[in-house]
Amino acid sequence: MATSSSQPSLPWPNTKDDYELGKVIGVGATATVHGAFCKPRNEKCAIKRINLEKWNTSMDELLKEIQAMSSCNHENVVTYYTSFVVREELWLVLKLLEGGSLLDIIKHKMRSTNCKHGVFDEATIATVLREVLKGLEYFHSNGQIHRDIKAGNILLGEDGTVQIADFGVSAWLATGRDISREKVRHTFVGTPCWMAPEVMEQDHGYDFKADIWSFGITAIEMATGTAPYHKYPPMKVLMLTLQNDPPNLDTGAEEKDQYKAYGKTFRKLIMDCLQKEPSKRPTAADLLKHAFFKKAKDKKYLQSTLVAVGPSLETRVQKASKRQPGASGRLHRKETGEWVWSSEDENGGGDSSDSDTESKPMNTLISVGSSGSDHEENSESADAPPVNLVLRMRNARRELNDIRFEFAVGKDSAEGIASELVGAGLVDGNDIVAITSNLQRLIEQRATTKVVTFRLNSPLHANEVPDDRALVGYAQISIMD
Amino acid sequence: MPLFGKSQKGPADVVKALKEAVNSLEKGDKKAEKAQEDVSKNLVLIKNMLYGTSDAEPQADIIVAQLAQELYNSNLLLLLIQNLNRIDFEGKKDVAQVFNNILRRQIGTRSPTVEYICTKPEILFTLMTGYEHQEIALNCGTMLRECARYEALAKIMLYSEDFYNFFRYVEVSTFDIASDAFSTFKELLTRHKILCADFLETNYDKVFSHYQRLLNSENYVTRRQSLKLLGELLLDRHNFTVMTRYISNPDNLKLMMNMLKERSRNIQFEAFHVFKVFVANPNKPKPILDILLRNQEKLVEFLIKFHTDRAEDEQFNDEKAYLIRQIKELKPIPGH
Repeated sequence: MATSSSQPSLPWPNTKDDYELGKVIGVGATATVHGAFCKPRNEKCAIKRINLEKWNTSMDELLKEIQAMSSCNHENVVTYYTSFVVREELWLVLKLLEGGSLLDIIKHKMRSTNCKHGVFDEATIATVLREVLKGLEYFHSNGQIHRDIKAGNILLGEDGTVQIADFGVSAWLATGRDISREKVRHTFVGTPCWMAPEVMEQDHGYDFKADIWSFGITAIEMATGTAPYHKYPPMKVLMLTLQNDPPNLDTGAEEKDQYKAYGKTFRKLIMDCLQKEPSKRPTAADLLKHAFFKKAKDKKYLQSTLVAVGPSLETRVQKASKRQPGASGRLHRKETGEWVWSSEDENGGGDSSDSDTESKPMNTLISVGSSGSDHEENSESADAPPVNLVLRMRNARRELNDIRFEFAVGKDSAEGIASELVGAGLVDGNDIVAITSNLQRLIEQRATTKVVTFRLNSPLHANEVPDDRALVGYAQISIMD
Repeated sequence: MPLFGKSQKGPADVVKALKEAVNSLEKGDKKAEKAQEDVSKNLVLIKNMLYGTSDAEPQADIIVAQLAQELYNSNLLLLLIQNLNRIDFEGKKDVAQVFNNILRRQIGTRSPTVEYICTKPEILFTLMTGYEHQEIALNCGTMLRECARYEALAKIMLYSEDFYNFFRYVEVSTFDIASDAFSTFKELLTRHKILCADFLETNYDKVFSHYQRLLNSENYVTRRQSLKLLGELLLDRHNFTVMTRYISNPDNLKLMMNMLKERSRNIQFEAFHVFKVFVANPNKPKPILDILLRNQEKLVEFLIKFHTDRAEDEQFNDEKAYLIRQIKELKPIPGH
């Protein structure tokens, strides 16, 4: 087949030797992101190396992520070049965005200047958010939901380009009247602080509008530096999001009028996005017409307000390589009702979340006791890898749940973890003692014992008979691989 | 035509306009740019008739029926697929969406587009060769998998000589294309149980000699995926005859025993699920029995230490214990 269109220079090669790997700019549980150089094309790029041996389940999820990327061709969506297998690794070749993530820039700015009354001015926020919306509009018109929109997943190029990254959790949504396909998604994925109420409830599934909620939270994040409920553990975030009125700029404020510099139009934009009823939220296309975006400027403006003030690539490189695996990630609940914690927060441009404001609340669930020590200097003391555990027990509705967590020996206490689980509403307060003592025992005897099954104190329902195999009236903690 | 609101064009007009545009795109004459634009524009019009937009509902059934009829009569589906590489990025995706929607269309229990494609199998063959072209591979894959859901179409693909090209496609160096091809390949071999079993039985030698190449591939992903699929195929009760044949061949057993010792734990684990079938077979042919007996002690020792950290996987541990017991109790066939 002859192609009439003009051929672009050289295709991106599929051999390892055609690339020179540079420094690590992002690290996650199963992947590492490097800055790289493609020799035949004489061009910089980013390479995300995914260790497939750590990918225990089917590779379909991975394929979906890559297909989602390769079906996008838009300046505000991360550019995917190619992917190939190198021994037991998958290498994804992506566009290198040297400005880093918006979260990196927010944190850098908060460290180096006083951001008490707001991190960025409205013009900067409007300029970035407009680009994000253009990307989202494209995404949604493509039948995709991103499901994890947040500052950490928005990347900046040196020229002020804004791109949405990390398709790790993006899902496909069949459009049109096709009853043979599910119209709404039922998996529970995302990061709690940014997650829409209907995603948390997962009764009816959710659609594109879930991204609009997260977009609204991201708007708050750009002004205040954090998501509104960032101080709380994830389960508490779920409860606050579901029970309280939608958050706004002042939700996380310490003083009255702290964020008075931000005007009505911006506040209105946030309010429009953060409506609990998804159908009331505007679409990305509607939002682009919002009056707030009259304040938006061009790429050049971002070069001066964001790229120039952001941390250098070198700084981010250092932080990324120091970062502990599992220091940040997401909690998701599967259709089976299983809660899963996964630390795959990496993205194409390198998210150097050291003292992750967005992941701190999550962090407290998995490593109680270390939540106060959020500077990387301290994390070096954690030399032994944390023990991965799973608590299997029935919830109030008697559905079997797997609650996965880590235990950093010497840092975490069984008691602390147990009270986190209770505080998060995952465990009945009556069972705190049983869980504490059995977790303690398992940790002490972890060299020889891998599983403990034990009786719970919480009352059984009428006509329930305790059964240690079916885990009725019993719970089980096991050490995972 | 009031049915279309502001739009002046009915299905016949749009199809005609699209066909002309694709034709001139194919010729690559001076008006190529204009043609490209017209192709995109008309594809969007058709897509909107089928899927609706945020402001408009999809068109009524009668209009969709007219559209489908026009598409069949004009032979436009094939023309679009043949020229897919010439259509722009978004247009390619629109072609796949239009194609899949029209394919799913039903009149009662009939699927008219499936019937139509049965009379035009070149559509399927053209889609299959799409895997050879990077820029259209995934679009073709999307359409192929939709086709593979229909038994009649899956049958045409399975029994064509082109099917064997999949053994090449699943191994290409670009991961997303290889994986996409693998999903389609798997769909074809597993979706319609009886059709698949018949196909594998009648073409056993040819299929498995090709399959052997995948299991020995240099590419880790190909090896891992094909081994997993092999396990699934052999354990599907519809494929009983195929399984019996596969587990009677000592070369296959040797391969699995080697794979049990691969460096990759995931490959070891998948190999275990094929290996177990050889051991569990109550009527082991002599060559198989001989290999197992020769390695009896080593195998027991190996299995005892095999993936001991999978404590939580009850089924795996039961199966492992069963295999160890079976191998321990193996005895030579008396009189041999």
